[in-house]
Amino acid sequence: MGKSATTKDAQALFHSLRSAYAATPTNLKIIDLYVMFAVVTALIQVVYMAIVGSFPFNSFLSGVLSCVGTAVLAVCLRIQVNKENKEFKDLPPERAFADFVLCNLVLHLVIMNFLG
Amino acid sequence: MSRPPLIFFAAISLVATLCSSFSPDHPTNRRILVLLDDLAIQSSHSLFFNSLQSRGFELDFKLADDPKIGLKRYGQYLYDGLIIFSPTIERFGGSVDLAAIVDFVDSGRDLIIAADTSASDLIREIAAECGVDFDEDQAAMVIDHTSYAVSDTEGGHTLIASDDFIQSDVILGRKKIEAPVLFQGIGHSLHPANSLGLKVLSASPSAYSANPKAKLSNPPSLIGSAISLVSVVQARNNARVLISGSLSLFSNRFLKSGVQKAGSSIKHAKSGNEQFLTELSKWVFHERGHLKAVNVRHHKVGEADEPAMYRINDDLEYSVEIYEWSGKSWEPYVANDVQVQFYMMSPYVLKTLSTDQKGLYFTAFKVPDVYGVFQFKVEYQQLGYTGLSLSKQISVRPFRHNEYERFIPAAFPYYGASFSMMAGFFVFTVVYSYNKQAQS
Repeated sequence: MGKSATTKDAQALFHSLRSAYAATPTNLKIIDLYVMFAVVTALIQVVYMAIVGSFPFNSFLSGVLSCVGTAVLAVCLRIQVNKENKEFKDLPPERAFADFVLCNLVLHLVIMNFLG
Repeated sequence: MSRPPLIFFAAISLVATLCSSFSPDHPTNRRILVLLDDLAIQSSHSLFFNSLQSRGFELDFKLADDPKIGLKRYGQYLYDGLIIFSPTIERFGGSVDLAAIVDFVDSGRDLIIAADTSASDLIREIAAECGVDFDEDQAAMVIDHTSYAVSDTEGGHTLIASDDFIQSDVILGRKKIEAPVLFQGIGHSLHPANSLGLKVLSASPSAYSANPKAKLSNPPSLIGSAISLVSVVQARNNARVLISGSLSLFSNRFLKSGVQKAGSSIKHAKSGNEQFLTELSKWVFHERGHLKAVNVRHHKVGEADEPAMYRINDDLEYSVEIYEWSGKSWEPYVANDVQVQFYMMSPYVLKTLSTDQKGLYFTAFKVPDVYGVFQFKVEYQQLGYTGLSLSKQISVRPFRHNEYERFIPAAFPYYGASFSMMAGFFVFTVVYSYNKQAQS
């Protein structure tokens, strides 16, 4: 009896989350997808390091950092571009996107140098 | 005007170079001083001396107490070998004494010394300097009641027929000595810690050293196979010393006589003394078993000259040439157990050198993954051969910063991840910028 109640609650929670998420704008969904891609790549690298060992440690850090940095910058873009966010109401989304692009360029420059 | 003195000078220097003298490159020992108690020995042992002279040695016979004898004059040695056939001498004449004889051997020259019954203290001291201890009892002889030579004249079993030879083709020649060797004299022993001395002719296990004319009151100190009848000592500077307990071993009487060992029915027409002495004297005077190693070379595979230092994980080749003196010329030495070590505190690499049968020994190996100062070491000590101890120092350095692998295969996933992030970034900008949607 209690078990089915909790599963019903979990299912109800899941459905409400899903329908709320379906309401977000498409560009935010694209950014979310991009962040997922970066995080999954980072996880794959950590699992690989756990198996093989951390021999070229600089390469490992560089790979993981590129994924994590990409995710962080994408999250920042999402925050600045989201219309529901009062804090960045006056910031033009093009300006946010331009910042995002420049930061990514710096990130990838650093990564290429550290990769060895 | 100045012509005759010039010609004279040239003739003198030509004569000087023609006189073959001892040198490590050409160990042609030619001049031998023979010290005798009694000049009759020169004729009673003439077969032995003639065999030496027929091989090219110049023998200089002198009485042992001749006041004019000397081994050295003005710092130069006059002789290349010394034979002491004077067992009863108390004091040598001239400038020869124990210290002079020890210096003679220390300079790399060879010595043959024969003791006999009632050998003097001086002879015993010379032998002791070489690591050989004669029986202290002055009247003792080696007696063997089961291995004596059957003869008509003598009883007492002091004439021994021995065939306990050392197993060495270098020292005693390739041909087996069939007949036993006749021996009559005193026995000696080598200290077991003496690694330079070898027993060439040992007594049988039933031999002992005692006075044949007296009753045996105490157990004898020297017994059995510990008694050595003839030994050789090869010093670390490759001087060779032959020590025999019997002077009559070398005599014509023993060389020519037949021998029958007690208990055996085989009667040999000729004793083994002549073959034994000829082969042994060839070894003592460096006509066999004298090695030299020249031309140590090492280089990287594919290059011809020696580098100043190697890098770890380099492939290198090492070669050395070893020759053996045959009495007249240097012949290639052929063996399959010469080894080279790549040594730094302990051998990191130990390889047996292969040979091309013409004296060249070579091998190739990879420098170990350790850097430091190494040595190429060849330590070759075989029974009867001169020892080879070669060592060449070489440094090994680690990788320079641009000698490492450029791309590490273990890191390919990380390279892939970084590049995929860049590609993803480009794709994202395109998709995000050109996204047509209902809002914004």
